[in-house]
Parts: sequence; C-alpha cells; structure tokens
Amino acid sequence: MNHSELGAEIVWQIGPFGITSTVVTTWGIMLVFTLLALLGHLTLRAAPGRLQTAIEAVLIAIEGALTEVLPPTAVRQVLPFVGTLWLFVLAANLTGLIPGLHAPTRDLSATAALAVLVFLASHWYGIRGRGLKNHLRHYTEPSVILLPFHIISEITRTLALAIRLFGNMMSLEMAALLVLLIAGFLVPVPLLMLHVIEAVVQAYIFGMLALIYIAGALEPGESETNSPSSEEKS
Amino acid sequence: MQLDWTTFILEILNFLVLIWILQRFLYRPVLDLLVARQQKIGEQSAQAQAMRDEAETLRRQYESRLADWRQECENSRRQLTEELALLKTQEMANIKQALAGEEEKMQVRNATLLAAREAELLRSATGQAYDEAAAMLKRLASKELTERIAGLFLEDLAALPENERGALSKAGKALPENASMTVVSAHPLDPTLRAAIETGLSAAAGKTLQAAFTEDPMLIAGLCAIVGECQLHVNLADELAFFKRQTDHAR
Repeated sequence: MNHSELGAEIVWQIGPFGITSTVVTTWGIMLVFTLLALLGHLTLRAAPGRLQTAIEAVLIAIEGALTEVLPPTAVRQVLPFVGTLWLFVLAANLTGLIPGLHAPTRDLSATAALAVLVFLASHWYGIRGRGLKNHLRHYTEPSVILLPFHIISEITRTLALAIRLFGNMMSLEMAALLVLLIAGFLVPVPLLMLHVIEAVVQAYIFGMLALIYIAGALEPGESETNSPSSEEKS
Repeated sequence: MQLDWTTFILEILNFLVLIWILQRFLYRPVLDLLVARQQKIGEQSAQAQAMRDEAETLRRQYESRLADWRQECENSRRQLTEELALLKTQEMANIKQALAGEEEKMQVRNATLLAAREAELLRSATGQAYDEAAAMLKRLASKELTERIAGLFLEDLAALPENERGALSKAGKALPENASMTVVSAHPLDPTLRAAIETGLSAAAGKTLQAAFTEDPMLIAGLCAIVGECQLHVNLADELAFFKRQTDHAR
C-alpha cells in the first residue's frame, strides 16, 4: 500500500502545477463523453438507431427525474448540470473497475470540486429563478436568528457532499485492493459486483442531493409566495 | 486525504467544459429532437383524432342513413304487403265471381241439356206413340170408316161457320170456268156418296163445281177436298199429323 494506491499520483509536472492521475482520468472520461456526444450528434436522425435510442432513453430518464422535483420551467435549465453530474460521477465511479485506473471520485479534490460546483449551482439557479433579493431573504426565514444556522447548513452539506462520495469510493477501492492482495484472483469478484452497485448508488445519491439542493433554492418561500412581486411573476 | 488545489481547480474547469460539450452536442440537439418528435406526434395525434372524429361523424351519418333506409324499406314492405293483400282480396273476389258465373253457366248448361234430353225423350215418345197410333188406325181403317167419315164431313160442311164458308166460297169463285175441285179419299167412294159430297161442296162454295175423285191409301181413312186454294182435310192421317204438331207445339 503505497502513496499511489491511496491517493492521486502526479503524472506530469508543469511548473508549480502537478497534473494528477485524477485529472488525467477525468480527461479520459471527458474524451469518451465527447466522442459519444459527437457520434450521437452526427448520427442524429428522426428515426433513431440503437445508440440514439440509448441516449434518448438516458436523457428521458434524467428529464423525468428532474420533472418530479423541479418546476416545469426550470427543467431544461437545470438538466445540463444535473445530467452531467450524474453521468460524470457514474463514469468516474465505474472507472475504478478498470485495471490500472483509479476512480477520480476517490480523490477528495475531485469530490470537493464537484461539491463546490453544486454549492455554486444551487445559488446560481436560485438567483436566476427567484431573484437575488428573494434568494438571500430565504436565509433569514422564518427568523433572522436562523441566518448563521443556514450558513452553517450550506457549508456542512457541501462538505458532507464532498466527503460522502470521497469516503465511499475511497473505502470501496481500498477494501477491494486489500481483498485482492490477501485473497486470490477470483475472490474479489463479488466485491467488484458490490463496487458496481455502490458506484451506481453513489452517483444517484450525489446527483439527487444536488438536484434537491437546487430545487430547494428554486422553491419559493412563504413570504415570497405572499409578496406582490411573486404574483406578478406568476 | 489531502486537497490538491490544482486538481480541485482543474476538476471544476473540466466539469464546466464537459457540461458545455454535452449541452452543445448532446443535450440540446437530442432534447430539441425529442421536442420536435413529440410535437410531430402531437400533430399526428391531433390529425388522427380529427380523422377519428370525422370517421365518427361519417359513421353516425351512415348509421342514420342506414336507419332511414331500413325505415323506408320497412314502409315500402308494409305498403307492398297491404297492396298485395288488397290485390289478393280483389283477385279472390274476382275468382269467386268467375266461379259463381261458371257454376251458373254450368247449371244453365245442365238445365238446357236436361231440357233437351227431356224434349228428345218426349219427341221420341210422341213419335213412337204416333207410329203406334198410326199402325193401330191402319189396322182399323176400312171402306165403312171412310164412308162414315164422309158422312161426318157432309154434316160439318152443312154446319160450316160463316167465315169458313166465306173462305170456301171465295176459293170456289176464284176457280176458272170448267175447273174442277179434287176429292181424294182413302177408299173408293160409291156414286151416291160422291154425288152428296159434290153437292155439299158446291152448296158451301156457292157455285156448282165438278169434282174429280181419286184414292190415296196414305190418308188411312177419310178424305181430303181441294177447292182452289182451299183444302178441307177429314182423314185419319191428317188428324194424326195434327195431334203430333199440337204435341210439338206444346213442348
């Protein structure tokens, strides 16, 4: 158990910046997604083929999940972020199954980056959807006394988001590595199956939590629903 | 477990780039295609609904027309049935009338045939009676009977009614000079009787006439006097013929 197996190793050193294996793997995932997107874009037809049908099925499933939580007008706005989050986290989690590669999500830097993006996105969509004033007023409801608690809640949930994914994927890969080292070749197969399930579940949880945070930011408060401006908007 | 800021920032940038790429090449075109397809499906569905409504309307119209047609057929059938019943009644009445006429004709024909048969039978009986009477009278005929009938002739001639006497007189006067009257008898008459007949006839005719006497056995018994256009028959053959004619006339 060396440093490269527990954390991300630096692949390239560009001046003071070290390009870690996490970033390289992320680029690989991005490349795969880009190729798939280009292939899907180029082969887009009115009568769909197999690839297009699969892509459409995935997008329809994501859109359906968003429609259940978000207001109808916000679905098309939020879908790129949450959809990409789901697909990327799922792909990143499953990358750990490929021999020689590590899941980028076992790196706290990657999960923290995603959690910060979720934090920023929830505020971004909240301000876009409700206006800055209404969005900030949300932190003082039902009383101004609760403002620090709201701020603490925002920070802790972002931290929790980052650490949950990181902890789960890190522990899963470590457990798999330990079993592989101790036991034979075929023994970790059930553990790998568990890895697949865990990867899917964690991706779903991460995306769903991000969606709930964004939906919470888009949801109008009590004072907002009674204010004349909200009536004008509606 | 350490936070590498380079990785952190690069991961943020990578993710934003990935969002842009996927939004540009995947989400937007595919979602637009889905919306367009949904819209097309909606249009087709609306079109199908319109066609369905139109078909429903046409179906209702067809059913309405079918119901009207069936009603019309029912009315026509009822009317035809009534006309047929009326025609049948009329034809039955005509047939009954024709049958009654035929029956009446048959009855008349039967009655005619029966009458003809009866007449034929009567004629046959009359003829047979005539023949038998004639045969019996021929057996009874004799010179004495002829003379007795001549005597009766002379008595009747003397008591001749005025109009018959006038007719006899007219016939006698119409005879030319030297013309004679004819007396035909069934048997030869003796001269006395001949003279009495000639005298009686001359007296009845109001003119003296000569008589020519001849015999004809066909008269059976008695005589026949011919004065010009007037004939006096006093014989059994004529009497039988007279009775036969009377019988025929009576039928």
